[in-house]
Amino acid sequence: MSERLSRARAVRLGWTFAAVVVLCALPFYLDAFWLRIGLFSMAAAVGAVGLGLLSGTAGQLSLGHAFFLAVGAYGYVWLAGEPGPGLPTALAAVLAVLLAGVAGGLFSPVAGRVRGVYLGVATLALVFLGHHVLLTADSVTGGFNGRSVPPLEVGGFSFSADSELSLLGVPFGAEERLWYLGLALFAITWFTARGLLRGRPGRALVALRDSETAAAVMGVDVSRYRSAAFVVSSMYAGLAGVMLALAFRRVVPDYFGLVLSVDYLAMIVIGGLGSVAGATAGAVFVTALPLLMTRYADQLPLVAAPGTTDGAVGPTEAARYLYGAAIVLILLFAPDGLHGLVRRLRARLRSRRTAPPPADAASPSQPPASAVRAKEPTP
Amino acid sequence: MTTFLDNIFNGLALGAVYALVALGFVIIFKASGVMNFAHGSLLLLGGYLTAVFHDDLGFAGALAVAVLVTAAVAGAMDRFLLHAGGTDPHTAHVQTIVTIGVDIVILTDLSRRIGGDLLSLGDPWGDSVSGLGPVTVADSRIAAIVVSTVVIAGVFALFRYTSWGLSLRASAEDVEAAALMGVRLVRIRTLAWCLAGALAALAAVFLAAFPAPGLERTTGQIALKAFPAAILGGMASPPGALAGSLLIGLTEALVAGYQSDLHILGEGFGDVAPYAVMVLVLLVRPTGLFGGKAAVRV
Amino acid sequence: MKSSHHTHHTPRAMRTTSLLAAAVAALLLAGTGCSSKADSSGSAGEGADGVKTGPGVTDKTIKLGALTDLTGPYATLGKSIVQAQQMWADEVNARGGICDRRVEIVVKDHGYDVQKAVTAYADISSDVVALPQVIGSPVMAALLDDIERDKVLTFPQAWAASLLDRDSVQVLGTTYDIDMIAAVDFLTRTKGLDKGDTIGHVYFEGDYGANALEGSKWAAKKAGLKVAGQKIKATDTDLSAQVSALRKEGVKAILISAGPAQTASLVGVAASRGLKVPVVSSAPGYAPQLMKTPAAPALAALLNVVSAAPAVSSDLAGVRKMVASYKKKYPGSLIDSGVLSGYNAAQLMGTDLKRACENGSLAREDVVKAHRSQSNVDVGLGTAQNFSDKAQPANTSTYVHKPDAKAVGAAVNVEDAHTAPGVKEYLASRTS
Repeated sequence: MSERLSRARAVRLGWTFAAVVVLCALPFYLDAFWLRIGLFSMAAAVGAVGLGLLSGTAGQLSLGHAFFLAVGAYGYVWLAGEPGPGLPTALAAVLAVLLAGVAGGLFSPVAGRVRGVYLGVATLALVFLGHHVLLTADSVTGGFNGRSVPPLEVGGFSFSADSELSLLGVPFGAEERLWYLGLALFAITWFTARGLLRGRPGRALVALRDSETAAAVMGVDVSRYRSAAFVVSSMYAGLAGVMLALAFRRVVPDYFGLVLSVDYLAMIVIGGLGSVAGATAGAVFVTALPLLMTRYADQLPLVAAPGTTDGAVGPTEAARYLYGAAIVLILLFAPDGLHGLVRRLRARLRSRRTAPPPADAASPSQPPASAVRAKEPTP
Repeated sequence: MTTFLDNIFNGLALGAVYALVALGFVIIFKASGVMNFAHGSLLLLGGYLTAVFHDDLGFAGALAVAVLVTAAVAGAMDRFLLHAGGTDPHTAHVQTIVTIGVDIVILTDLSRRIGGDLLSLGDPWGDSVSGLGPVTVADSRIAAIVVSTVVIAGVFALFRYTSWGLSLRASAEDVEAAALMGVRLVRIRTLAWCLAGALAALAAVFLAAFPAPGLERTTGQIALKAFPAAILGGMASPPGALAGSLLIGLTEALVAGYQSDLHILGEGFGDVAPYAVMVLVLLVRPTGLFGGKAAVRV
Repeated sequence: MKSSHHTHHTPRAMRTTSLLAAAVAALLLAGTGCSSKADSSGSAGEGADGVKTGPGVTDKTIKLGALTDLTGPYATLGKSIVQAQQMWADEVNARGGICDRRVEIVVKDHGYDVQKAVTAYADISSDVVALPQVIGSPVMAALLDDIERDKVLTFPQAWAASLLDRDSVQVLGTTYDIDMIAAVDFLTRTKGLDKGDTIGHVYFEGDYGANALEGSKWAAKKAGLKVAGQKIKATDTDLSAQVSALRKEGVKAILISAGPAQTASLVGVAASRGLKVPVVSSAPGYAPQLMKTPAAPALAALLNVVSAAPAVSSDLAGVRKMVASYKKKYPGSLIDSGVLSGYNAAQLMGTDLKRACENGSLAREDVVKAHRSQSNVDVGLGTAQNFSDKAQPANTSTYVHKPDAKAVGAAVNVEDAHTAPGVKEYLASRTS
């Protein structure tokens, strides 16, 4: 038995190793276009993991994620910039994340009382009110045109193209450097979120989602956990906001709108609720797919080059059709999202490999497709 | 005083149109627990069909076609795309995201067809106005209030006096009990979606009619305003949707009308004021004005 | 939180981890040896004809980029500009190109989505020498720093004063504030507005509206008028509440800096409620489609439009020639101000590239330099442009149009180009 376990572990270690190698090597091959998509995806993954904790694990629907992203992004820009206190950028980034947490905490009177779809629309209000503030508080936010983002500097190393740097003959500009920062921050997110989910807080949140009354009986402090879930989720959103700001190099209010919030909700559902890996997969899907489709849709048959002929389907439209259809199809055939899809495929492969199905493989450990809310949080 | 009456009337007319949209939201939510993000594109679809057919069929004929087709599309959406997970309320959030996908597809296609045009729906009111005492009111707005009132009263009657309404209310209370009692959930649900689609198509007419310049590709975005309206009233309560819509309409019209006196809040606050009102209401009543306290089951 | 994961790590696991790190480093070293990105020291060089080249320029081609909106709220504008600029490129290539190179335009549609636009910029920025078209104020705002850093000469299809004072970004014609100063001047001159009167100004949130309001407030103060502002959003298409508010203020005229739908609603509602006052719109607030809406009679009676460009129905030889070829190339396409604006931008870009070629370099920074060295460019599509002072608009004179359903582009010139009194003073007061 232990031998089988260690073999499984070695296989997993091998895969992790391969993934890390590939991710670390990519900046040496990909150009700025791909790297930017990667940066946006990593930032989205961090934010989606945070929303996954809140909505997937704790069952609190939030449409206000864009607001907390904005707090992180604008917080960093203001704290590190001029006008603003002009703090060291690394400190500003940390404080911006905390600031987003504080914003989440301030919302806890609402988050603690309001539930379900009501909470969803109440958080929607945050997005609209926040957007209004971003536009009107010129001195802090720069108004409609937003503000430029000061590049992050850690210990004299700048994550920008200001200083020349070239590694193994490959020129390292802002995108290449930020790629590694993004990977590091994503790794931190991955491990902390998994730690949270597997530990006592994760179990408490799941209990809370399934039945508040039962959770309260079991000794879970309901309103404290509800508020805490909001604060933690907002901090992840804040971190994602900082990463996005660094990738964009300029923050503008129009980006942090309702569409962004809805995108994040789509990420965690498409990925599969209640899991960190699912949220990550969903984030990459929702972020990268439209960008890639827009870029490459003109290779498809029946798609005209932009602006050439009247009434024809342009690449952006083709990309939107495909993206919308992809969302519908994935959830139609895998209501438990990409994560559930992969898990079922894997289970099927495994049962096929061990021809006479042994007892443990024949009765798959996961619940049937209709019960989307996995009872145990799985990574 | 005239200005005040003007604003009140603007608000009521706006609210009456929002009510048609919000009621659709509420019916869908009550029947399936889904927040329909595709409501805006259903609305746009209804408006577009009216605009396309009014030359050949006349306004009434075109509107009838539009209402029927939109209802059919909404019903089909529920039947074919949202039933994958069964009627299990736990899959409602997945279905909510599916509506986003559907919204993207419909909206992309309609936007491509409408382009930059402002389509006229051929409504009979044109830009005529009537004097009601000291205020001048667009006829289309009076029509909006009258039609909304009649339609909403009709929907209430459906809810109260038909077996469909009874079944819908029963299944919204407790799905399992309703199923045990022989309620055909799937049919109830799909009918609810059809009704909501029809209401959206009807709302499109009043949103595109004068004082608005015509149907635009962005007309569907108005559905966002119905979110706070539906929530304010209590998502599960049709009378609440009406009250919430009127409140939202009035808030918006009054804040815009007195914008110059409300400088502290920043200009352009009228558009976000409904949300501010909504958060305040939810702080006091977490399930909206008309939402009952949910019974806790262990 | 993190430690909970690491506490059960045995020394063996730690050893595996360090082994892993070493292996990653080794693989990286080995793998990057064949990276295509290594030692690609930019594409700067010298063409066979001795003209220095840079990104987007080869011996045979000059590539220009367009970040446009063909599927979002400005789809109509985007389509007109893309087609007009493509027409220009075809004409230029038929005459042998520029600097003996073919001109190509790479069109990217972002649908008014900032993230798509930023990614599209990353995609094309290393392949193009300049951007004769960028649509969308938030898009432009998000790209400003990158454009400045990459020294890509850019003509945004937006006219806010906040885009001034950047080396590589050129606002063509007048800015919104100057248009509104001209509008106030037009009202006082021809519509009998007097000291003490109030004018309403309905404006979009954001750069466009804010900049326009700046101009109207300044001009109103000079003329002894009061401004009653009404801020709206792009999604507001029923302006009843705004009209009520303006009527309460007793306005004698209304300025509007919004989109066509808002202009139609404003004028229609005002007329139907008996608020029959003159309305003057900024250029983006009018489109020929409006003359097919129920508001058309009211628009014809009350509206004027201030613009840096002549109406497309103008008698100018250059404009007439352009309209004729556009009709031939794109039969059935609507001819609006976007066509003129896009064609004008492309022509001006052409003169910049020619100048740069004469100076011996088509590298990006030299194209910008060539652009800034031109102080009087007239391509026959309106008034001459002066690009030498980046802090000032390229032009200060404006036309006044009025709607006319029968004319090409559904507008005709009412007043020819002239610089409104006060504009010079305004610009001086702004720079000081």
